[in-house]
Amino acid sequence: MNVHPFDRRGFLKSAAATAGAGLVPGLSLASPFGPLRVGRKTERVVMVAFAGGVRTRETFGTPGNVPNLEVMAKEGVLFTRMRTSNLGHFGATMSMFTGIPEARGIRENEREVDPTLFEYLRKDLKLASSDVWITTTGGAQQTNYSHGLHPEYGPRYGATTMDGDGIFNREFKSVIERYGLPKKMTDQEKALLERMRGELGGGQKGEQGKESGDDNLARVEEYILQELTSSTTGMTGANACDAKALRLARNLLSIFRPRVTGVVLQNADIAHGSFNGYVEVIRRNDAAIGELWNAVKSDPDLAETTAFFVMPEFGRNADLNARRGLDHGDGSDDLNYVSCVAWGPDFKRGAVVKDDQRVIDVTPTICDLFGATPKFAKGSKLRRLFA
Amino acid sequence: MPNAPWSSLQDPLPPAQTEGRTEARPARALDDESLRAIYYDLLGRPPFPAERERWMDVERHDLLDVLLGSVPFWTHWWEEQLYYFLLIDNFRPANDDARAVPGKLAEKRLSVRDALRRIAMTPTFDLRNPGADTFVTVVMEQFVGMRVQKSARELEIGKGAYDGRAGRFLGQPAASQSDVVRIAVEHKNATRYFLSREYERYVRRHPKTNQPFVRGLLVDLLGRLPTHDEVEPMRNALDGLSDSRPLRSVLVRLLLDSGDVPVPEKSSIADLFRRLLGREPADAELGAFVQTFHDPACRSTTVLYALLSNPEYHNS
Repeated sequence: MNVHPFDRRGFLKSAAATAGAGLVPGLSLASPFGPLRVGRKTERVVMVAFAGGVRTRETFGTPGNVPNLEVMAKEGVLFTRMRTSNLGHFGATMSMFTGIPEARGIRENEREVDPTLFEYLRKDLKLASSDVWITTTGGAQQTNYSHGLHPEYGPRYGATTMDGDGIFNREFKSVIERYGLPKKMTDQEKALLERMRGELGGGQKGEQGKESGDDNLARVEEYILQELTSSTTGMTGANACDAKALRLARNLLSIFRPRVTGVVLQNADIAHGSFNGYVEVIRRNDAAIGELWNAVKSDPDLAETTAFFVMPEFGRNADLNARRGLDHGDGSDDLNYVSCVAWGPDFKRGAVVKDDQRVIDVTPTICDLFGATPKFAKGSKLRRLFA
Repeated sequence: MPNAPWSSLQDPLPPAQTEGRTEARPARALDDESLRAIYYDLLGRPPFPAERERWMDVERHDLLDVLLGSVPFWTHWWEEQLYYFLLIDNFRPANDDARAVPGKLAEKRLSVRDALRRIAMTPTFDLRNPGADTFVTVVMEQFVGMRVQKSARELEIGKGAYDGRAGRFLGQPAASQSDVVRIAVEHKNATRYFLSREYERYVRRHPKTNQPFVRGLLVDLLGRLPTHDEVEPMRNALDGLSDSRPLRSVLVRLLLDSGDVPVPEKSSIADLFRRLLGREPADAELGAFVQTFHDPACRSTTVLYALLSNPEYHNS
C-alpha cells in the first residue's frame, strides 16, 4: 500500500498560513476574520438541525436527557414554542435553511428553486465556498441542502456539503486501503499537469478554474484524505452517523474556521420502531453537540465569536404506535412545536421565550446577524433573541 | 426487439457477425462519442476495448437492437430503479426473486409495471419505509408522483388500508398493504410519472452521476466493472458531497497510483482522447500532451490524470 505523506499537523499549519494570508485573492480562505456586521460580535454560526423528528418531551421535557443543551440554554436563549410542520424530514429541514415552508417528498432527491441560507450569505457577503459548510448524515438526498436552483443564486453560492457516514465509513476505507492512498505530487509534476490542463478544451480551463474555485477543491481533496486516516471512520453506536456529522463539523471548525457550519442529524428517526433507541440517540447526540460546543469554547479564536442554533425540524406524535415506537403524522402540538436553543455573543443569556415563533425564522435571523438579505425567505427575525 | 443471451453485465459481447454486411460506411455509423454515449445510457458504463473494436463504424441501429432489451440493459435499469427508491446498501433486496428480475424482464416474462410492484413488495422496501405514514407516503410520492400534503385524505385512507381497515384508496377498494401498492402501481398517473422519470434519466440527466462515473472509471482504467463491494462504497462516498469533484479526483489518483493501471504508450495520446473523451484531440491539445509526455519528469499516470480530472470526462 502506498503511503500518503500527509500529516494532520502539517495540514493545520498550512490551513493556518492560508487563513493568515486571508486577503490574498484566489485563496480559499479569502475572507478576513472579524464580525461581518457593525455592532455585532458574532463572526461564525453553527446551526445544528437536530433532525429526524425530536419532541420537546424527550429533550427539555425530561431533565437529564440533554444536559449539554440545558447548559447551553442557561447561557443563551431557549425558545420553547417554535412552530413547524410535518413536511417530511427532507422538506422540513430544507425549510429551516430556506426560510420557506415547503412540502418535499420523503425520498425526493431533486433541487428546487428556493435559495438557502448559504446562498444568501455567500452572495451578499462574498464568502468563499470554504467559508460555508454543511455536514450531514442522511446520504445523497441531504446534499441538496447546499443550494437551490434560483437563477440569482444557485450552485456557485452553495455550501460545501459533506455526508459524514457516506464518506467516512469502514467500507469506503477498505476500498481506499485496497488500492492504497495516492502519492503526493511533486511541484514539477503539478506544473506539467497544469500545462496539459491549460490546453484541454481550448485552454479555457484557467477561467473556469477560477470560477469553480480549483484551489478550494484541492484543499477539500487534501482534507478528505486527512480525514480518511482519522478516527472518524471507525465511530460506532446508536448515533454513529450523527456523531460523524458532528465530528466533521468540529474538525472543519478547527481547520477551515468557516463563517457558517450547518449540521444535519437524522438518527433520531429510529423512533418509528424503538422509543428507547430514539431516547438513546437523543442522549448521545446531546453529548456529541456538547463536545462540539466545548471545542468551540476552548478555542480562544472561536469562543467569543461563535454562535449556535440547535433545533429539530419537527417533533413526533403524541402517542406510541403499535410497535411501541413514535411516528410523525398526528398533527399534535408534540409534532408541530419544537424547542430551539440559541447561544452566542450577541444573544441574551438565560432567557426563556415562550411566545410562538417559527423554525423558518432562523435563516432570516442568521442573515440579519451577518448583514445579508434573505430575499425570498418567508420567515422573519427571531424576536427577543438579541441582548 | 432481440434479446441477447447474456447473463450479466460482466459478460463479453457476442463475436462480430460480419457475414453479408456491406463494406460501405453506414449512414449513422458509430464513432467514439456516440458509442460511449449509448453504452452509458443503456448499460451505465463505457464499452470495453473489445466492444469498441466490435462496434466502431457499425450502423447505430445494429447496436441498439442488440443492447435494448438485453439482460445487461435490464440489469442496469433495475439498479437505477433500486437507487431511485434508495434501496441501497443494507436495504438492497438480495433475495433470489429480486435477483431474477432483470432476466425475467429480458425474457418478457415480467412487465415493467410488475417489476416496479415487486420493488414495493420486497421486505427491504418495508424496512426502508417503516410504519404506515412513511410507507404510504413514499408509495404515493414515488410511484404516483403525488404530493401527500395536498392529498391528506388519500394518505389517511392509505394508512388505514395498510393497517387492515377497508377504504377507497385512489378510487379503488383497499384493505391491506399489498392493495395500497397494487393500486398505486396500476394508477394511471403512475404510468405518466414513470415515463417522466425515464425521460429525465435518458434525456435530461447531465452531468454524469456518481454510479456511472465509478463504473466507467474502472472500465476505462482497469478494463473491468467494479464489484458491488467496490461500487457501493465509492458511489455512497461521492454522493456524500454536494460537489463530488474533490473525491472523484481522489479516486482517480488512487487507482492511477495503485500500479494496476496499464501504462499508456507515448504514441497513444490521440487514442487516449478518443477512448476517454470520445473525440479527437485538437492540434494544440495533442501538441501539449505529446510534449509533456516526453518530458522525463512526466509520469504516464499524470497524462491520464489530466484527462480523467477534466470536466469533459465527468460530463460526457
